[in-house]
Amino acid sequence: MHVVTQLALLLIGAALVNNILLTRFIALCSFFGISDNMHTAIGMSLAVIFVMMLASTATWIAYYGMLVPLGVGEFLYIPAFILVIAALVQFVEMYLRKYSPALYRAMGIYLPLITTNCAVLAAATEAVKPGFFKMNMAYGFTLGENLIYTLGVAVGYGFALLCFTALRERLDIAPVPNVLKGTPMAFIAAALLSIGYIGLGSLFGL
Amino acid sequence: MKQFVAVLKNGLSLENPLTVLMIGLCSTLAVSAKFEGSLFMGIAVIFVLVMSNVLISAVRKFTPDEVRIPIFIVIIAAFVTIVDLVLKGYFPSVYSFLGVWIPLIVVNCIVLGRAEAFAYHNGVMLSIADGIGMGLGYTLIIAGLGAFRELFGSGSLVFLGNTLVSFGPAYRGPNILLLFPGAFLLFGFIVAGSRALNRRLTARKEAM
Repeated sequence: MHVVTQLALLLIGAALVNNILLTRFIALCSFFGISDNMHTAIGMSLAVIFVMMLASTATWIAYYGMLVPLGVGEFLYIPAFILVIAALVQFVEMYLRKYSPALYRAMGIYLPLITTNCAVLAAATEAVKPGFFKMNMAYGFTLGENLIYTLGVAVGYGFALLCFTALRERLDIAPVPNVLKGTPMAFIAAALLSIGYIGLGSLFGL
Repeated sequence: MKQFVAVLKNGLSLENPLTVLMIGLCSTLAVSAKFEGSLFMGIAVIFVLVMSNVLISAVRKFTPDEVRIPIFIVIIAAFVTIVDLVLKGYFPSVYSFLGVWIPLIVVNCIVLGRAEAFAYHNGVMLSIADGIGMGLGYTLIIAGLGAFRELFGSGSLVFLGNTLVSFGPAYRGPNILLLFPGAFLLFGFIVAGSRALNRRLTARKEAM
């Protein structure tokens, strides 16, 4: 397969076919937590794209540059990745506060939340370890593939989050049975949205 | 002792992490397609929760307030690594089904949330009770959901290679239960049900 085709398939596969929120249930806490307001949803999506790209580059370098040569990749990757991500988010926050107050105001409050956002750790782990990502491509991405893959995951996250937020804003004014009001109805709406994503399942035979 | 039981009970109903506090959702919905996998996931979470609660509560007097979160995360990550390696070694089929969800226990909001909200402020014994209660509350929902989805979706319940219950080959279940929308849909109804139940429990408590 041509390299560009392969990368394009990787991007689409990560963003739509294996959508991190609706077909793999990763990072649902934030999905239900912040999807009641379009403004915060946009801020969170942008922050996730930014942090995820940084974090998975850093963990990839940490894994292949440090853990594998030292022979501890097998049993130290979990603590190492989470520490790298937590430290990185902290630095980004400090840097933004000092040098880019406008960006900090827009993204700042989401940054600490992202540390415990499973999506970041999941993407970082899957780039180097076999995980849920069901595509017939070898695991152990190169750095370039890793970047494309992470971009796909993050954009897929943002797109699904914005779709769902728009849905929930409409749902607020819809007549709903009393017992289902609020979160139960949000889950049912998410079920319908994720049925839509099943349709993407056989896209390009991925 | 009375307090121990009260804390334990809280995790099961009034403060159930999944249906009331709404944390730790991701893993619940994802791994509940199979009973076996969801049961192992529940056990893994109970183990990590109890052990990390004990350790965090034991060192809480020497833990500086400013760096407590990184310390919690490292403690939790250590226990998750134990689970990761044990499952990989002894239950390879379960390990490949759970996949990325085992490392993701580190960022499972239940574990970090209980460390911060409970173990950091309470003694070791109470923290054990809280770990068991919260863990059981999680396991109950996730294993129940897993059993329901597998039984009615595929018509039989398989545990470590043995078929426990089967409706026979003629049964054709609703396929949606096994797919991801089924998890969202069922969980929505579980939340609605448990909310109605809790409302009744609270009303009874107030009446007493």
